[in-house]
Amino acid sequence: MYYYNRTPGQSMTRPYSQWVPPMFFTIDPNNGVAIYDQIVRQVKYAIAEGTLRPGQLLPSVRALSQELTINPNTIQRAYLQLQADGAIEPLRGRGLAVRAEATRLCVEARRDLIAQRLRSVLSEALHAGFSNAEVKRIVGEQLTELQGNVPSISAPSPLDATGS
Amino acid sequence: MPQAIKDSVISVSGLSVHFPGCDALRGIDLEVPSGTVFALLGENGAGKTTLIRCLTGFLKPSAGSCRVLGLDPAHDALEIRRRVGYVSDAPALYDWMRVGEIGWFAASFYADGFTDRYREAIARYEVPEGRKIRHLSKGQRAKVALALALAHDPELLILDEPTSGLDPLVRREFLESMLDRVATGRTVLLSSHQIAEVERVADEVAILHQGRFGVIDSLSTLRESVREVTISLEDPLVELPVVESPAEILSEQTEGRQRRMVVRGISEEILDGWRSRPGVTRVSMRAASLEEIFAACVRGGNRDRSSDPTQRSHSTKSA
Repeated sequence: MYYYNRTPGQSMTRPYSQWVPPMFFTIDPNNGVAIYDQIVRQVKYAIAEGTLRPGQLLPSVRALSQELTINPNTIQRAYLQLQADGAIEPLRGRGLAVRAEATRLCVEARRDLIAQRLRSVLSEALHAGFSNAEVKRIVGEQLTELQGNVPSISAPSPLDATGS
Repeated sequence: MPQAIKDSVISVSGLSVHFPGCDALRGIDLEVPSGTVFALLGENGAGKTTLIRCLTGFLKPSAGSCRVLGLDPAHDALEIRRRVGYVSDAPALYDWMRVGEIGWFAASFYADGFTDRYREAIARYEVPEGRKIRHLSKGQRAKVALALALAHDPELLILDEPTSGLDPLVRREFLESMLDRVATGRTVLLSSHQIAEVERVADEVAILHQGRFGVIDSLSTLRESVREVTISLEDPLVELPVVESPAEILSEQTEGRQRRMVVRGISEEILDGWRSRPGVTRVSMRAASLEEIFAACVRGGNRDRSSDPTQRSHSTKSA
């Protein structure tokens, strides 16, 4: 059964399964992105930046459901999506593990997600009536301002470097 | 005992309940699939508790039928109570009993193993076993009620606003035990006003409004299909093209030169239709949160009667 020897602010410890959460999830049910998609994205980001490495096991559906107080069916859906996308694979009797080629896939997925988000900002700018040149100027200005001021959290992967 | 059949745990058709001077439920249909968390939302007095009371056999419906675990609450109320766990918002517990005694008392109604599971739960919730119910806090009473409701390992757990007035940690324990039920394939019917919690845990959501369901759908479909659209207009009186089904406007508000609508099932064509309309300066859209969907259902339904039809180009549907 479950044990709840927990102090406020500390995550739960469960003697029956000795895993330490391999990563932290931040779920915001209100932010428009479906919860399962938030999990998918965060797992992909974690794989892309090397927090989750190939071969590493993901928490079980039930454990993660309790940890995040999210419906297990939602977690199941996220895991199915991650499997369909080729990021994780089931290891019989052990759980779900990050696949060997996941890092490459997830770096690509991260670029796609960033592109999508930029796209929504850019389309907002275009809707507001800015011209192409103006938008480019704003983007250029922001980039020069940020250059060298933003610490990169994860070591840039070789794929990222060649891609940009 | 895990359920092998993957079909409806609760099925309700045409259920109506009339009280003197009040129609609490006006012909509702409902299917709750097994292995899900089904959330029932609605303002105070919308009919949530009435529905639950019908399902548990405490109240005879005026018309229509309902089946719970394949049984009819009107005839097999006892069997249903044996197989369902129920926590109401104000649990009725004998307050002269001690925490341990009430478990022992309740155990006589259920199969073996009840007491062990009850005591294990009480210990986990850190409720002192020797204390009288009278001397427990509200949260501790709720924990006792939950422990009693879960100790016979019910196939269906019904929670009627269980977390109102409880502190965040106790609420979390309630949520965890709910999710634990679902992880083992059981079903939970949850009525709640804590929309943020519902958004985290629910599979299916039904919004009751004036005795009918305004919305009844899976939460992920709702999230994907309901959008809040804000349209900036040159002139507040500009008419917009009527939205055709399957799209549906849940609510509509006009504020100066802006019109804000909560729309279900919106498509690019509709948006383009609005954008290309003369007099429309900007159309923006974002996903609606469950709270906004809820407000739209409740407000949209009320507006149906009160507002002046010439002000609007669409009729608001409250299905």
